Amino acid sequence: MLKFIRTHLMRTLCILAMLLIVSAANAQYKLSGTVIDNKDKPIKGASVYLDNTLDGATTDSLGVFTFTTTEKGNQSIVASEISHETAGLPIVIMGDISGIVLHLKKNAVHDLSAVVITAGSFEASNDKSKTVLKPLDIVTTAGANADVVKALEMLPGIQQTGPDNGLFVRGGDASELSILVDEMVVQNAFFSGPPGVATRSRFGAFNYQGVSFSSGGYSARYGQALSGVLELNTTDLPDKSTVNLGVNMAGLYASGTKKWKNSALDIGGSYNNLTPFYGLASTNFKFYNVPVGGSGNLRYVWKPNKNGILKITANTSYITSGISIPNPYAGIVDTGLNKLNPFAGLPDTVNFVTKDQYYYTNVSYKQLFKARYSLYTAASYSLDTTKNTFGPIPINEKDQRAQFRIEGKDFFTSRLNLLAGAEVQHYSISKSFDTLNENFAETQLAGYTELEWTPINRIAIKPGLRYEHSQLLNKDDIAPRISMAIKTGINSQVSLASGVFYQNPDNLYLLAGLRPNMQEAIHYIVNWQYTKNDRTLRIEAYYKKYQDLVRELHDTLFDPNSYRIITDSTKVNNNGYGYAQGIELFWRDKKSVKNLDYWVSYSFIDTRRLYANYISEATPTYIAAHNLNLVAKYFVDKWQTNFSATYSYASGRPYFNPNNPTFLGDRTPDFNNLALTVAYLHSFGKWFTVFYLSIDNITNQHNVFGYRYTYNSANVVDGRNPIVPALYRSIFFGVNMSLTQFKKDEL
Amino acid sequence: MSALALAVMNAEAQDFKAPLEKTFLAFDTTQDMTVKVEQSNKLSLITKKWGNDWITHYYLSFSKAVLSYLEKDATKRDAYLDEAEKEHEEAVSILAKENDETFVLGAMIANARMAVDPMNRWQKYGQLFSQNLESAKDLNPNNPRMYYLQGISKFYTPKAYGGGKKSAQPYFEKADGLYAKETGGDITKPFWGKDKNTYFLSQCKIDDKDTDNH
Repeated sequence: MLKFIRTHLMRTLCILAMLLIVSAANAQYKLSGTVIDNKDKPIKGASVYLDNTLDGATTDSLGVFTFTTTEKGNQSIVASEISHETAGLPIVIMGDISGIVLHLKKNAVHDLSAVVITAGSFEASNDKSKTVLKPLDIVTTAGANADVVKALEMLPGIQQTGPDNGLFVRGGDASELSILVDEMVVQNAFFSGPPGVATRSRFGAFNYQGVSFSSGGYSARYGQALSGVLELNTTDLPDKSTVNLGVNMAGLYASGTKKWKNSALDIGGSYNNLTPFYGLASTNFKFYNVPVGGSGNLRYVWKPNKNGILKITANTSYITSGISIPNPYAGIVDTGLNKLNPFAGLPDTVNFVTKDQYYYTNVSYKQLFKARYSLYTAASYSLDTTKNTFGPIPINEKDQRAQFRIEGKDFFTSRLNLLAGAEVQHYSISKSFDTLNENFAETQLAGYTELEWTPINRIAIKPGLRYEHSQLLNKDDIAPRISMAIKTGINSQVSLASGVFYQNPDNLYLLAGLRPNMQEAIHYIVNWQYTKNDRTLRIEAYYKKYQDLVRELHDTLFDPNSYRIITDSTKVNNNGYGYAQGIELFWRDKKSVKNLDYWVSYSFIDTRRLYANYISEATPTYIAAHNLNLVAKYFVDKWQTNFSATYSYASGRPYFNPNNPTFLGDRTPDFNNLALTVAYLHSFGKWFTVFYLSIDNITNQHNVFGYRYTYNSANVVDGRNPIVPALYRSIFFGVNMSLTQFKKDEL
Repeated sequence: MSALALAVMNAEAQDFKAPLEKTFLAFDTTQDMTVKVEQSNKLSLITKKWGNDWITHYYLSFSKAVLSYLEKDATKRDAYLDEAEKEHEEAVSILAKENDETFVLGAMIANARMAVDPMNRWQKYGQLFSQNLESAKDLNPNNPRMYYLQGISKFYTPKAYGGGKKSAQPYFEKADGLYAKETGGDITKPFWGKDKNTYFLSQCKIDDKDTDNH
């Protein structure tokens, strides 16, 4: 305060001399004048006073103030107003003074958090202004079926899921994205299912308070993903004790949360049976055993002090199903490809039985010390056992993963903080096909550091460095990362991100005993974002370069089957390469029409790769060059009903046609999907109830994701079968009831 | 020597109570935003001069939170709350430990933060609101302002989410009984909220056919 008064003193002394109009000696002096901003407009409601006295007044609508004082001699007159920076003038009181003019500057663009690096990332938490998608958004997005991962498909940069699980981000396939819960890698993020049938992710929307999605250029804290990371953060201490019950076409569930002062225990369970769901949907495959299963979960949260939080999570689930699916290996018997394949010779349609048992546990502790240092430690373990039979052939798999992470952060100043951390991960996969057994175990060590620096209010820079070691490949890598943001106006900013990203070869190769090297991607991302009053416009462009991709060298013809068998005699090297470039657009508007929230996302991508068993550089089969999503949600107050509709479009994808001399030169028809969700809210006494109904693919569009060619005995193509999703139109409805504890002693 | 110091301090304490009470009452009883701003500005001066006492920061913080509710511009509302939070922290640091009134004020500020942007803030600030009230209740279950704030929160929550007049009424009634026991003479013991509580209670009793018959 004093310091700034002093600076003003120097600046305004000369002006002051002119202002002073000294009148006759009087015990009480009258001071008057105006307060104006830097455009000379009057400021209303400003407080004007003599510093360290009670003498003062508030300006009227013309910026005019008048007050009397008994003080005399050297004084400071100060003006302050909520939207302006406080300023003062030195005055010498020897009599009445009029015509005092105080200039106030508009507050500088408020706060440091105003500049946030957004290149490549979408945040979806509840407490940040950069939020784009929130848990409630996920539940109310038509077509997402309350699945966190599915809802992300409505954001730019992600392909529509075809018959495969996972998120296909920019040029990368599903394995190139890492999914994390509380900063720990989730090994089996999706329920097990038969090949060619996409399953749900294991994540329900409401267990997470924040979802942040990176489609590239992500932080040095994470590695082993060529494309990006999806981070889910579990909720902290709940607000109140609650009971939650629900029933829908996929089963029943119940959960209860008991809240104490600084801790909470959460217990839940579910029974799943998809008979009603498949009964109403038009399925393309026959479920002779509909998926049936159950789950249980336990969670304990404890805040030992104001700045510390401990979270313990344990859950388990079991699911079993039996389905008749098209044999992805059909035709092999005729062409003589891959004679080792135990599936050759099976009929065109086979029965596939899945039994999946999953365990997951995670313990994390975070503590902030003296508002200056923070420490985060976490440990997790998961075990997934699947017992499948493919026709007569048993396929068993056991995946385990254990991870430990420790991370410290020092907030040197509000503009500078340094983060350093280390993690160790051990995972193993063992798989058996009939009599063939394969397995591997890998231990990865990583250390990382990242600096967050805001040299001036408009600029934020985040350089980082990550070291990774793979024991299995006996390989060390250093991955530099950098991102930055520059504010270009009160509501707009430009962000840049770049980095080097490494990832182990696909498990397919490691299981076969092959040890090719780490694969590499380099990202360059530039992004412009404009946000004002709940309207967001983002435009992002990127270029990604892939190198050292794993390539198989076969001396036979191309085998389009993604479930092809790799053995230790398959020849592989790291000579694959590729690129991806594109531009993405996102517009969201929650403001223009009351109760209407809509967004548009469009992505264009141009990508080609030479990897896996590709015979030449080509656009992969999971890529549609154009993707468009229109999402709209409208809440009708009077009916307490939320309507939501999503329209998705994707241009045709490449597929393999043996008759076309251009490798992957054909394109499927375009993809179209229209989905609708209606949710009605009602309170039955203390029970808050939501009834919901959603219809996916209302028009029953027969979308095709590719074709599988069949051959006759003379090894000539004799036809093709479309690759289709498990369901066309589907209907889902249910009801959720929650009771927030009404404490009797609350009143 | 020490007797003299004590006498001086006593005189100072006497000094601030009268202007503080006068200014606060002027702030609390007017409906005119211009007058409220004026009186809040006066509270700033009082706080500057007698900043060693937590209660001056407390009232200044309270006045800024009230102004935030009345202001329409979202940026300004948050700016008021930045100041309200700053003064609240100052009050707490002078006390060295929160009392029931500072917790209640903390709850009120959290609620005002939420009111600026309910859709985006309810989860964080809703939790902060109830945590503060719980802490207040641990210290003094007979603070009427706690129930008054809870009542208002219920009053403005849509019926579909378990709010509405019917569910708010018992809170205002509870507060009403406790307000009746407050003497309200001493400015250093906060007593605000009584008139508003009476007003809301009367609103709850007006049967609203549109919203109540579902």
